[in-house]
Amino acid sequence: MSGPKISIETPQENQIFEITYDGREIPQPPLSMSENLARLAAKIDWSRSDGEEDGDEAAPSSAEGDGDADSQVTTFQQPTWPWESVRNKIRDAYTEVCVLSDVLSIARHKRYMVLDGVTQDAPEPKQIIQVISKKKGLAAAAQILSEGAERMRENLAEQRRNRNNNDFYTELLRLRQKWRLRKVGNNIIGDLSYKQVGSRFWLSGTFEVKKAEENAPALPPPAPGLPPVPPSPIIVTVPSELQGAAFIYVTIRKDQETLCSARLTHPGSTPLPVPQSQHWSDRLDAAQNVLFCKELIAQLAREAVQLQPRLPHMVIGNEITSTIFPGIHLVMGLAHSARPERRPAAAPLPPVPAGPLGDNNYVLEHSLHQLLRHMHHRNMHHAMPHPASAPMGMSKRRRQAGPGAASRGQLLKMVESETLLESIIRQARHVVLRMRTAFAIDSCAREIKDPLIVTHWNSVNSPTQSCCKVNIMTHGYDSVHRTTFLINVLEDSLRCVCRDGRVMTVSYETSELHYIILCQVSQHNLLAAQSLGRIMGWTVKSSSSGQGGGGGGGGSDSSQTAQSGGGAASSSCVLSAPGGHCYVAVRCQPHGEPVAVSVAQSPKRDFFPTALVTEHKWEHLGGAFRQIKWEKMEGRNFLNKMELLMANLSSGTGNIM
Amino acid sequence: MIIMGFSTLQTFPLIEGLTGPQTLDVLHKRITALGARVSGQFVVDCETYFSAPSLLPGNSQRVLNVLHNTEEPASVFAILEGGAKQPVLVADTLLDALLPKMAVLYTSNKKQTRIESKGNRYEMGDFVVKLGSVTMSGSFKGILVEVCYLACVVPALCWEMVWEFMQSFLGSTVPSTLPPYIQSRQNATFSPTDTIQMYLEKFNEFRKQTVAR
Repeated sequence: MSGPKISIETPQENQIFEITYDGREIPQPPLSMSENLARLAAKIDWSRSDGEEDGDEAAPSSAEGDGDADSQVTTFQQPTWPWESVRNKIRDAYTEVCVLSDVLSIARHKRYMVLDGVTQDAPEPKQIIQVISKKKGLAAAAQILSEGAERMRENLAEQRRNRNNNDFYTELLRLRQKWRLRKVGNNIIGDLSYKQVGSRFWLSGTFEVKKAEENAPALPPPAPGLPPVPPSPIIVTVPSELQGAAFIYVTIRKDQETLCSARLTHPGSTPLPVPQSQHWSDRLDAAQNVLFCKELIAQLAREAVQLQPRLPHMVIGNEITSTIFPGIHLVMGLAHSARPERRPAAAPLPPVPAGPLGDNNYVLEHSLHQLLRHMHHRNMHHAMPHPASAPMGMSKRRRQAGPGAASRGQLLKMVESETLLESIIRQARHVVLRMRTAFAIDSCAREIKDPLIVTHWNSVNSPTQSCCKVNIMTHGYDSVHRTTFLINVLEDSLRCVCRDGRVMTVSYETSELHYIILCQVSQHNLLAAQSLGRIMGWTVKSSSSGQGGGGGGGGSDSSQTAQSGGGAASSSCVLSAPGGHCYVAVRCQPHGEPVAVSVAQSPKRDFFPTALVTEHKWEHLGGAFRQIKWEKMEGRNFLNKMELLMANLSSGTGNIM
Repeated sequence: MIIMGFSTLQTFPLIEGLTGPQTLDVLHKRITALGARVSGQFVVDCETYFSAPSLLPGNSQRVLNVLHNTEEPASVFAILEGGAKQPVLVADTLLDALLPKMAVLYTSNKKQTRIESKGNRYEMGDFVVKLGSVTMSGSFKGILVEVCYLACVVPALCWEMVWEFMQSFLGSTVPSTLPPYIQSRQNATFSPTDTIQMYLEKFNEFRKQTVAR
C-alpha cells in the first residue's frame, strides 16, 4: 500500500507578474475589495431573464415569452446604463432575502407563526403488515430454539438414565474409552501391556471381558459405612500371573541398617492388597502395574547376570543385590502380593524407614521408572532418516562411520551404551556420596566453632552430579577475609576447587574430605590474620602458606598420605607493628596445635650488660620470640584475639610480660 | 575426525628354502619374541570391475577396484583407474549391494579375480603389525607386511622410528627411503585411504607378477 510520497502544497495565491533579472519574483498585488467584487460580478451571466425560477417545463416557454417581453420592454426603455438589469436583479434578490429573514424572525418569535413539520398520513395497513411479519419471524426463531432445547433436555435425561443404568453395553463403552479392546471370535480380548509403546517383554498382558451372570452377588462396600456397590455387569478376567498388586523396592543398605529406600508404585494405585472383586478399572490398573514391575525386575536381573563387574551382583529370586561401595549394597526387588488372602502368612515385605531419609525415595523411584520408559521409547522411535533399503535406527555418527572410514575401536565405542542396572547403580552411588559429604561437612561445622563453616548446596543438580559451595568466615570479621571453595560431588569421587585455582580430586573416603576442610580452615585463619594485620596498619614481613589441600595433591591414596603430609600443610606468617618495634609470628596447622602465636619486642626487656656485650644500645636488637598462651588470651575467637593482641602491642605501651 | 595413524606397506621376499607359510612362521616367531601379542585376524581384499565398452567409446577402458579392510569394517573403498586422476571413494557397506545392480556398466571380469591379503594382526604398544599372505584365487602369491604407528599422522615425522622398528624384525630387506607413494605426501596428514591405495599398488604388482611368469 505504500506508494511514492506526494507532497501537497497550495500554489502561490498571487500570480507572478514579472521575474526580474536577478531572480526576484514580483507577484501581482492582491486584488482590493472593489476589484474582487468587479471580478465576481463579471462572472455572473447577466443576460439571463427572471423567469428562470418557475420550473423547467415553463422555462423554455417563459424564457421565450419573457425574452419577448424583455425585448419589448428594452425597446421601450432604451436603458441609459447597461447595469440596469443587474441592479434590478440584485434588488429582487435583496427583497427575497428580506422576506426570508422576516419570516425566520417571525418564526423564531413564535407568536404569529410557528414552523411545524409536514404531517404524513399514518400508514395503517403497512403497520399491520409489519407486525405480522415480525411475529412470524419471532415465531420461527422461537421454534428453532425450542427444538434445540428439547433435544438437549432429551440428551440430559438419557444420560441421567444411563448413569444409573448398569447394563452391559454402557459399561463396555466406558471400558473401551480407557482400554484397548478387540473382538476375537465370540470373545472380547483386551491388551494391558506396554507392547504398543515399545516394550519387548515376553509376558502378554491380555485380559478377557465377559458378561456377568444375572443375580450376581453385590460387591462388598469399599469402606465401612458406605452402601454396597451394585454389581458390575462386566467381568474382567486378568491373567493369573498379573493378579494382585506389586511394587519395586529400592533400598541402600549399609551392612544391616537401611540408609534410604524407595518404593515404586503406579500413581493412583494403593499398595494395599486389592480384593478380588473390586471394580474392573482398579483391577486392570493393578495388573498393568504388576506387569510393569515384572518387566523392570526381569530387565534388571538379565543385566545383572550379563554384566561382569569386579564385584558380581547377586540375583536371588526376585531380589538383586549389588555392591556400590565397600560395605554398602543396593538392593532392588519386586514385592508381589498375588493372593491377597494369604498375604499375612506370606514373606514379610521389607520395612520402609520413616523420617528424614524418606525423602530420597522419589529420586531413585522416578529414575527407575523413567529409565524403563526411555528404553521403551528407544525401541519404538528410531533416528531419522528411515530408509527403505538400509538398516534403520542408526545414529548420525554411525551412518557417517562408513564414508568416514572409522576404525574398529571407534565403532566399538559407538556401540557401547549404558544398561539400566549401570545407570541406577551410578545414581545410587551418587546419592550415598552426597549424603556422606553433607554429613561430613556438617560434622566439621559442628566441631569447628572458631571460623564458621557455611555451606550452600545447588538446588539444580543432575542424578550423578551435585555441587556445594563452602564458605569459611570468622564471626564478626566476615568482611576481613572469607575463604570459599566448591565441592563437586560425582559418582565415586569428589572434586574440590579452591579460589586460587587448585583442583583436588578426592576419593569417596570421608577422612580425605575432612582433612581438606581442616586445611582450608587453617589457611583461612592465617590469611584472615594477615588481612586483619594490614587493616590495622601492620606489615606482613613474610608468609609461607602450606598446601592447604593435603599432602601430595590428594588423590585416591588413602589417609596415609594425608597424615604424612600433615607437616607440610602448616602455614605461617610474620607481621610487624607499625612502629616497627614488635613482631608477631603466627602458625596455623590442621592437625595438632591449631594456632601458635609468638611475639618478639624490640627493646629487649631482658637485656643485661654482660662482659662481652656491655653497651645498652644493644637492647634494641630485638628480643627472642616468646610463645603466647593462646587459651588464656582474651577474645571471642582467633581473629578477635589477634586484633586485641595487635592493638595492645601497637600502642607501644603494651606490656605483655 | 578420524585419527588413524601412519601405515607403511612392504613386500617381504620369501626366505630361501622355505615356503610361504613357513616364512610367515619365522616372522611370527620373530615378532612375538619382540613382545607383540596376537590380537586377531585381518583381511584386505580387492575385487576388480571393468567398464563396459558402451560406457566409454573408443579403446579406453576404466578399471574399478573395490577394496575392503577389516580395520575399517563399516567402510568400502573404491578406486577408479584409467583416467588422468584416480579418485578414491569411501562408502558405507551398502556399496557392495549397489555394484551388482551396475553390472551392465561395470562387469567383473573372470580373468582378474579377487586378490586378498590375510593373516594375523599383532599389537605392541603404539605399533600394529599385520603379516599377510597374499592369495589370488587360492594360490599363494607373496607376503605383505603392514606396520602402523598409531600415535602419529605425519609420515615425515615418524618414518625413521618406523623404519628402525621394521628393521628389528624384518631384517635388512627394508628400504631406508619412504615408499614412493608417501614420498609426495610425507608432510600431509595420513589417512586410511592412503593405506588402501598402497595396498592397491602392491596388489597390482602381484597381479603383474603372475602375468610375467
